[in-house]
Amino acid sequence: MSSEDRSATPAGSTVEPQVPTNGSTNFESGATAFPPPRRARRSTDRRVADRRLSRPLPASVLIPPTPPPPPHMDDYTAIVGQAQIDTLRFLAKELRGKTIKMVNSTALGGGVAEMLNRLIPLLSELEVPTRWDVITGGNDFFEITKAFHNALHGAPYELTKSAKDIFLMYTEQNRARMKFDEELVVIHDPQPAALIRSRENHRSHWVWRCHIDLSNPNAGVWEFLRPFIEQYDAAIFSSQSFARQLPIPQYLFYPCIDPLSEKNKELPDSQIQQICDDFGIDRTRPIVTQVSRFDRLKDPVGVVQAYKLAKKYVDCQLVLAGGGATDDPEGAIVLQEVKEAAGNDPDIIILDLPPWCAVQINAIQRASTIIVQKSLREGFGLTVAEALWKGKPTIAGAVGGIPNQIIHKLTGLLVHSVEGCAFQIRYLLTHPEFARGIGMNGREHVKENFLMTTNVKRWLLLFRIMEQARALRGKSA
Amino acid sequence: MAEAAKPHVRRPQKPFFFNTSEHLLRIGRQKAINLSELLHAMETCPDDSIFQHTFRTLQEHHFIRQGFSNDFAHWSLFACNEPALAEQLASVDVREFTAIEGLRRRMVEILGEFLHHENRPGSRPAYEPFYFCASDIVVLPTSFRADTLAGFLDGINQVSVHSIHHHFIEARLRLHRMSNDFSRWLEEEVGLLEAADDIERIDIYTNTMEGVRHQIARIVSQAMN
Repeated sequence: MSSEDRSATPAGSTVEPQVPTNGSTNFESGATAFPPPRRARRSTDRRVADRRLSRPLPASVLIPPTPPPPPHMDDYTAIVGQAQIDTLRFLAKELRGKTIKMVNSTALGGGVAEMLNRLIPLLSELEVPTRWDVITGGNDFFEITKAFHNALHGAPYELTKSAKDIFLMYTEQNRARMKFDEELVVIHDPQPAALIRSRENHRSHWVWRCHIDLSNPNAGVWEFLRPFIEQYDAAIFSSQSFARQLPIPQYLFYPCIDPLSEKNKELPDSQIQQICDDFGIDRTRPIVTQVSRFDRLKDPVGVVQAYKLAKKYVDCQLVLAGGGATDDPEGAIVLQEVKEAAGNDPDIIILDLPPWCAVQINAIQRASTIIVQKSLREGFGLTVAEALWKGKPTIAGAVGGIPNQIIHKLTGLLVHSVEGCAFQIRYLLTHPEFARGIGMNGREHVKENFLMTTNVKRWLLLFRIMEQARALRGKSA
Repeated sequence: MAEAAKPHVRRPQKPFFFNTSEHLLRIGRQKAINLSELLHAMETCPDDSIFQHTFRTLQEHHFIRQGFSNDFAHWSLFACNEPALAEQLASVDVREFTAIEGLRRRMVEILGEFLHHENRPGSRPAYEPFYFCASDIVVLPTSFRADTLAGFLDGINQVSVHSIHHHFIEARLRLHRMSNDFSRWLEEEVGLLEAADDIERIDIYTNTMEGVRHQIARIVSQAMN
């Protein structure tokens, strides 16, 4: 059994939010679509040299940019309004002096770490000090938890006694190192779930935040984890459809995007134009874009087919902007399939971008006339929220968490086939008023439900509701 | 012809405190995969689920001007492909109810009659399940308090749309009367009966909540002038 420590940070110590992840582009919500930035940087030269693209990348994207400092709460006022910021401050004032601990399994890479990097400084700025701890484990532990992750998504897996023992052994090691003195302890995802054993009394609230889809879990893994989960005070899921029947309250926290991140901040038109010029995108003609990894579940070949069907009726270009093809052998195969499907159409622009190209993705989305996310299977699909936030009429597959974001014909269009996608592309390109209307609605929908400030509010509300419930129980006792 | 009598505007004795309500969405235990299951769950779910899928969903979708009324209607159309049922459910105005029980009865009645009279197979599977949810609600003060009509107008213009929803739509469940906090204050404290009545008549289903705010502000401005 290996005892190699794979975590970047010793367990039991607070992780300082890592600025470098703020600007990274994660093409799939809640999952590590690209390797963590550290690894990406080490292999920059190789990545660039190995790149096989339809179009060479401009020099401006070959070197990771220096990430900007994280924003402060007041920076969000112009976006969500003073009243919303006042609400956050009021909620936080009532919790002042109380503390939160967040625990997950990685400090770098992936949607959870990216979200915690933004959330924790904001909670702390509101004077609700929030610590972030990362569990440690050997390769054997992380291999097992990776298998758990896939099994909880429904993959076949035979849970062995050895796997259970390894999982519990590392849990005990982490318990021995970590302290849980905070009033609210939040455990993210299955890897650290058994830390609930450290709950010594009911002075603290313990919450399990599950970022993955549990709608069809492998029975063996779920039945192993369930007794731990049932000891928590509450569980949080990203979609109603991801939840399980549990004897504890279950809350719905949508994943969120940060409107001030490199990927979502406003950009001057000159910068958008420059980036489009760099990639050979013609802004004088309609642009249809899908941003996603080169992964079959994102159906990039289906998008090419839909574009070709639509192009019989309307003029447009197709931009497929993604990544992963140089790190994932299957990604390279899918990229090749996409190129073959595209043929020699000069209006199809395929971009295999490094993970730090957040600004470039932002600019391409902003330059687009329509954004497509034709996934066949999806987690939450935050690239949809990114598109909606930019006010773009969006067409997406009705899978995973996408229907939470797209209310058909009101905040976007849901499709179930290549033909449906092609028709909706035609319709939106020929009905710009309708397209503008759903784009505006989509932006408001994100503003209400999927922004970082709403995420902060949900945590403060949850904390307050749990404190109130305990006070009531105390009174009645 | 005699000029219409100008309303007598009084100085309010009690200030208007602008509050707001924030909600945390809870995932319920019930779900429906067809219309028969929806009917059963509608009959048996907690009041706060009915509130969530009618009153509260209006707040969540406050930016939509038309085409969205409540979650039951939306699901009937998009998951069950039953436009006639969706139209009937969407026509229910939550503001006609001062208690959840009455609203629940009305929804159940519409769905029950539809399944009975239209001879529709209630067991036909929907495209996607309906998940019953509910909300934990926290009422919070805002920094706005009105001692005068001008201050009231200022508050209307500046509070969040959640505050507008709280006072204008949710209020009837709290007051148990067919009115809202704004109209009640204008009527009882300021003596603006006509303005109070005009505000009560604003159509929330063809307006965004911002649109509702602007209409309230316009009515109050006109009354002031």
